[in-house]
This record gives sequence, C-alpha cells and structure tokens, in this order.
Amino acid sequence: MIGKICGFICVISFIFGICTGNAEQMGAAVVDGASSAVSLTVSLVGIMALWGGIMRVAAETGVVEKMAKVLSPLLRFLFPDAYRKHNGWGEIAASISANFFGIGNAGTPLAVKAMEKLQENNGKSAVASDDMVMFTVLGSASLSIFPTTLVALRQSAGSKAPFEVIVPIWICSFFTALIAVLLVKCSILFKRQKS
Amino acid sequence: METVSRLIVPLVMCLVGSALLLSKKDMFSVFTDGARDGMNTAVRLLPTLVALLAAISMFNASGASAALATWLAPMAEKIGIPGELIPLVLVRPLSGGASTALIADIFEKYGADSFVGRCASVIAGSSDTILYVISVYFGAVGIKKTRGTFPISFIVMVFSVFFAVFLCRFFFGM
Repeated sequence: MIGKICGFICVISFIFGICTGNAEQMGAAVVDGASSAVSLTVSLVGIMALWGGIMRVAAETGVVEKMAKVLSPLLRFLFPDAYRKHNGWGEIAASISANFFGIGNAGTPLAVKAMEKLQENNGKSAVASDDMVMFTVLGSASLSIFPTTLVALRQSAGSKAPFEVIVPIWICSFFTALIAVLLVKCSILFKRQKS
Repeated sequence: METVSRLIVPLVMCLVGSALLLSKKDMFSVFTDGARDGMNTAVRLLPTLVALLAAISMFNASGASAALATWLAPMAEKIGIPGELIPLVLVRPLSGGASTALIADIFEKYGADSFVGRCASVIAGSSDTILYVISVYFGAVGIKKTRGTFPISFIVMVFSVFFAVFLCRFFFGM
C-alpha cells in the first residue's frame, strides 16, 4: 500500500514538474527530503525512547491491571459473547488497556491473542463474530491516552506547547469510540432483525 | 492550562522516579526495555520516512502540491476542513509512516503551533491506520468475511476528522 502511494507521488510529481518547468528544483528537493528524514528520526529517537520507558514503567506498576478491573463492566457490555463463555476476557482487557497506554508495538501481539480467543468462541468460522467486529473497530479507533509519536513530532518541530493538543485528542477519541460502539451495536441489532 | 502543560513532563518524571525508588522489582531495566522499544519504533520508521519524505519533497518542488491544494482547498473549506489537511486525511487510514511524514511536512510548512498544525495533531492523535489494524487483526485468525467492520471504521474515521477540526476551533479559536 505504502509503496503504491509513494510510487504514485513520484510519477505524478515527475510529469507535473516537467510540464510546468519545475524539473530542475526536483533533484535537489529529493536529496533534501531524504536527509530531512534522517534528522527527523534522530530527534524522534530520544523522545520516543524516553516515553517508551515511562509507559512501560507505568504498565509494570500495575496500572494496567487496575485499568482492566475498572473497565470490566464496560467490557461486559461490549463483548457479551466472550463474557458468557468466559473466554478471551483477560486478553481483551489487557489489549485495550495496552492500547490505552500507547504501548504501541507491544500492543499488536496482545490484540492478536485476544482475536485468537474470540475466534475460539466463534467456532473457527471464516465469518467475523459480533465480538470480533467490536474489538477491531475499537482497535482502529485510536484510544491512546498519550500519543507518543505525535508529541515527539511536535517537540522536534519546536512547538512552544507540545502538549496543548492532548485534551482535544482525549475528547475527540472518546466521542469517536462512542460513535464506534453505537454503530457496531446498531449493525448487530440490524443483523438480528433481518434473520 | 499553560503552566499545567509545562509541568506535565517534570511531574511524570517525578512519578517514574518514585516508582524506581519504591518498587521491589527492577524498575530501571523495565524502563530501559520500554525505551529500547520506543527507540526501535523510531528507527524502524526511518526507511519509510526516507522514501516518503523524498517523494513528498519532490511533489512539493514540482508544483503539483500547490496545484492540488488550490484545486482541493475550496471543496475542503466548503465542508469546513482546512485545505492543507486533505493529504493527511486521505493517507491517515492507510499508513502510519506516510502520515508521520505528512505531519512533519505540515509542521515544517505552517508550524506546529499554527491552526493547521494543531488540527493535524488532533486528527492524527485521535485516529489510527484502519487498514493495518483490520488486516492484522482479521488476518491473524483467518477471518475472510469481516462484515461491517470496514464501512463502520471508515465512518468513524470521517466523523473523527470533522470533530477534530471542530474541537480545534473551539479550543484554539479561528
């Protein structure tokens, strides 16, 4: 996917540049772009390493388990099948809490584990269960309490207040998740009425 | 608000420090493990960023991006979204690396503290790479029929973009 996007941009730019007589600037711009990627990464490495460490400590002090406990009534409403079958419960809680703390790459294996449990409940069908649709839609709506990469990007761009966007992000994520849950629940009701 | 946001980082460091002091576990190696992970994430982004930032800067230099912006901006403004954000909105559901590159580009062009920069931040912070999540989650367990997942995620994403711009107007004015 990313390759297609990149290829598309290159071809379009080349054609456009030739047609508009901007061809000469393009060569220098490409080299500049490549080296700016390196300086961007250099400034990101330190900040992201720091936040990665902080988030891991937060997770280790038991904040994640406490989160899972607090979340449990909510999870029962969201994933009734997993709750009834007592299977996949802990995995879902762990994965959602991990997403919440923005553990990033460590989150994907947790999510996959939860999906495997949900697939057991689903009887190894090739059609997604209600729980799975809910879990995936929530997984694709960002629920992070601290968007690490974004704050790092803002800091390295010399923002005077890199954190000022956090509160709007929380509000936006919350309502986005709310809409996501409503839509999934509606689609489940709709499906039941049809059958 | 200003002072609070300035105190967040020192406060967090202090909390981490007290966890290092009080916990019986070896919290420092927990910290360094997490830091290594964070570092790897940043480094793993580099090859993608090189390719994309090179392509984007060629796109800018060719004049195509200015032409696209003047072409799309009126449409975008009509539905209430700053035209400069359109490329980011289009790419955000497809690729994390590409959206990181575009955000860096927006910050450089308009500044991280500009209205456009703030909007870009909130949009990126409250949405995710839908395509990646759906394909990884369902791919891992061999689900072929994903039912409503894709359209629902897509509608949710569109909602989050509009809501993000609305919130930025509310919080930061303009």
